[in-house]
Amino acid sequence: MEDLLDTSALIQLRVDGEFHELDVLAGRTLLDVLRDDIGKKGTHLGCKTGHCGACTVMIDGKVAKSCITMAATLARAEITTIEGLLDEKGGLHPIQQSFWDEAGLQCGYCAPGIVLSALELVTDNHHPSAEDIELALAGSLCRCTGYQSIKRSVAEACVRMYPANENIN
Amino acid sequence: MIEDKKESESYVGKSIRAKEARAPLIGKAKYTNDYTFSGQLYAHILRSPHAAAKINSVDVSGAKKVSGVHLAICGQDVFNHTNGITDHLNPAIFGGKSTRLPCMAVDEAWCYGQPVAIVVAEDERTARYAASRIQVDYTPLEPIIDVEKAVAKGARSVVPGWEDNTLIYVPFMNGDTQAAFDAASHVITTDVKIHRFSSQPMETRCYNAIWEHDTESITLYGTCQNPHPLRLVIAETLRMNENKIRIIASTIGGAFGLKMHGHPEEPLICLMAKLLGRPVKWVESREECLLIGAREQQHKVEMAFDSDGVMVGLRDNVLANIGAPSACPGWGMVFLTGLTMPGPYKVENIDVHMNAVTTNKPSWNAARGYGKESTAIALELAMDNAARQLGISPIDLRLKNFIAKDSFPYNSPTGLVYDSGDYSGVLLKALETIDYQGWKDKQAAALIEGRYLGIGVAFELTPEGGTIPGTMVAGYDSSTVRVGPDGTVRVLTGITSPGTHNATAMAQIAADELGVDIAKIEVLQGDTNASPYGFGNYSGRSTIVGGGSVALAAQDVRAKINAVAAALLEVEPDTLNLVSGVFSSSAKSDATLTFAEVCYASYTRAYDVAMCIDPPLEATRTFKPPGIRHTPDENGRINPYPSYSNAVYVVVCEVDTDTGKIDLLSLAAAHDCGKVINPILVEGQVCGAFAMGLGGALSEDIQYDANGVQLTKSFKDYVMLRMADIPPIGVAHHDCPNPDNYLGLKGAGEAGVGGSAAALVNAVNDALEPLGVLMHEMPLTPSRVWSAIQNANNGEGVN
Repeated sequence: MEDLLDTSALIQLRVDGEFHELDVLAGRTLLDVLRDDIGKKGTHLGCKTGHCGACTVMIDGKVAKSCITMAATLARAEITTIEGLLDEKGGLHPIQQSFWDEAGLQCGYCAPGIVLSALELVTDNHHPSAEDIELALAGSLCRCTGYQSIKRSVAEACVRMYPANENIN
Repeated sequence: MIEDKKESESYVGKSIRAKEARAPLIGKAKYTNDYTFSGQLYAHILRSPHAAAKINSVDVSGAKKVSGVHLAICGQDVFNHTNGITDHLNPAIFGGKSTRLPCMAVDEAWCYGQPVAIVVAEDERTARYAASRIQVDYTPLEPIIDVEKAVAKGARSVVPGWEDNTLIYVPFMNGDTQAAFDAASHVITTDVKIHRFSSQPMETRCYNAIWEHDTESITLYGTCQNPHPLRLVIAETLRMNENKIRIIASTIGGAFGLKMHGHPEEPLICLMAKLLGRPVKWVESREECLLIGAREQQHKVEMAFDSDGVMVGLRDNVLANIGAPSACPGWGMVFLTGLTMPGPYKVENIDVHMNAVTTNKPSWNAARGYGKESTAIALELAMDNAARQLGISPIDLRLKNFIAKDSFPYNSPTGLVYDSGDYSGVLLKALETIDYQGWKDKQAAALIEGRYLGIGVAFELTPEGGTIPGTMVAGYDSSTVRVGPDGTVRVLTGITSPGTHNATAMAQIAADELGVDIAKIEVLQGDTNASPYGFGNYSGRSTIVGGGSVALAAQDVRAKINAVAAALLEVEPDTLNLVSGVFSSSAKSDATLTFAEVCYASYTRAYDVAMCIDPPLEATRTFKPPGIRHTPDENGRINPYPSYSNAVYVVVCEVDTDTGKIDLLSLAAAHDCGKVINPILVEGQVCGAFAMGLGGALSEDIQYDANGVQLTKSFKDYVMLRMADIPPIGVAHHDCPNPDNYLGLKGAGEAGVGGSAAALVNAVNDALEPLGVLMHEMPLTPSRVWSAIQNANNGEGVN
């Protein structure tokens, strides 16, 4: 018998507020760990090359492609997935609500990555221009919407999250 | 913005928020790959590295030695357990060739990427590693990659035993085309080359098959557009009874035709589960997904015009490189490209020859438009070329040649019967939406500054809801509407959603017909053990036939509820009113009953007040669009489509003549899909198709080297458009309801890829007309555009 042996590393992740200590093989990605070990199926596999953005999560508050992030490199990290955005009562985050209301998704496969990328943008920039939104979401592909409703959803999220925007617009 | 709605108002026609869109937003949608079962095993497929090769031997012993491997088998072993894969559309039905389609290559590999062996192991990594330990001894053959080579005299047959490589040749001829061309004042020839681009949904394919030991049956969770027809394919291929197969198409992450069945992995993964008695999952890699092709074809379009610019004849000769034989329905796109000629134009004399040619490239599968997009590309590039040669504006040439609004129903020269339309109206609406004259002025001003702006227009006629006699591509579909004793509603439908939210459209229709709050409606799709027999999603059919059948079933159930309500209130049914869930009667001012009370009585008082109905509150109905005609006419022609949606796409772009790069400045579409059930969802379909067509025309391209080895392996090579690439899209509706279908529906999902791609090419040619550039070969990559500029003006290029 031929056994596949690999070195492993002990990592400590806080994922959507929950603490996990995991022994991960060297070849495993953060996406593998999130989906298969922690059960965070909301983070999706689309290309495994970092081009499509379906696997996007936040690592220590910054968006990253989990399909090309080796889990063993994250000795200690805070991870936010799409499943971590709900409020304590299970209510939608305003940005999720905006995407829902403005049809910012169709099949929804890309939506978790796009919502997190948009959230990173609007957290720092309350008045993003169209170019800001395009730049922030450049890492995500969507095959269904043609992006029109996504742009509208992000703009609407800013209005809802920062009501003063209504006067500016 | 989504509209709020009071219960008494109608839902149809409003932008109702899609119920099924909530789950993906919180990461809780269940796509096929999100299911993992106890004892789950994983498969990896070893694929041919050669486009054509004899397989001398396959030695799987190395894989079997890897710890954690449960099974490693080659094509011959799989062959012994299976029949050939049942064709989605058998070309032999249409007079084409047919062959046994194995799940894996046996003696000979006929394309790069064809499955050769499969390993099933405890995890994906082990399966992948073990597959690398399999030794395959190949003798490479000279591959046939180019379509010209495939049709050359004496070419080797891709399929041993076939006398040539033409899978099917279909002529579409009408009138006296030769005489029309002889008498014509002008004949314009346009050579159009459409490249290989496919739909590439964000979710790749995934199959997870379970062997059910108690019932000796298979449950397949699969990314599948057509669960019931796939059930028959699995049964026939695995030599099982159809009622021993259950297909569950869970949430689908985009499909666009690519998840129509016929893929070898569908029966293959089921076989693995059956052989091992354990759940087996396979997830397609993006590289594997990029094997799937579509649309690689060349047209020679000849248009004959009289001295007034009226088209009097059309010829086209099409060679399509459909790749290796496959059970997927991709080859049928070629047939449809011909059948849809001459699109929206009134010309009787046509002479169109379609050749679907087999080569050693991987095969096609269906892709949005299903061949009709290629009709639009070929015709619309040719129309712009003709306008340029004739010195007429492309708008005027189209307006002059469109089928007139008062000519419907219109009998096309290929036998189609177009239901309705106002093609000139749609075009003018699109021009108004984009501000055509305004852009013309800007174009002229820019040219003075040495900037090259272009405006391109293209029409797309998209027959929707197609059906082919003698195949499992049906024109009808069925739905069940079930109202429970508490007044809540379950809709079960044979149509499926590829991610378009058509379940919400079904709920809107059911809510209106039943008179209930849409929040009380749940829709289930895609489970063959639960839904009525249905054919799923293809050909823009889902809302036409799904919506029609839901409406009929809901009307039946509503009639039962009304009867019981009338009996309870002791009034005549026609005096009833249902407002906000409360029944009252104009014949009795004081008495009221809630909808739920009536439903409860319907279930529980079957021997008194509910004597008048057959319980339970449930009906299953089929909508069979009446426009379809399968009985051949005097010329032997049928009309396989009930509905003819149509649209005009306008693209404004600027070309950087130094680099050949194209920037999109403005986009607009005007669309006739009949009655719009949900505007925000239809807008999403229009915009998504627009982006897909632009990507195809600009940069999406699946390339192979001269030996047929795949070069395009990731999204780094297959360049789909990103958000910054696409300017705002103006969308307008110009609806001529289909007189035959429920609510006048025509279908909204399939149109757009061809029209938008053609509009882009026309815009670029318009921009570069001052330089004498004229391109009819896609995609318009910067290098191709730059080269064309350099070669223009008799090789003088740009000054």
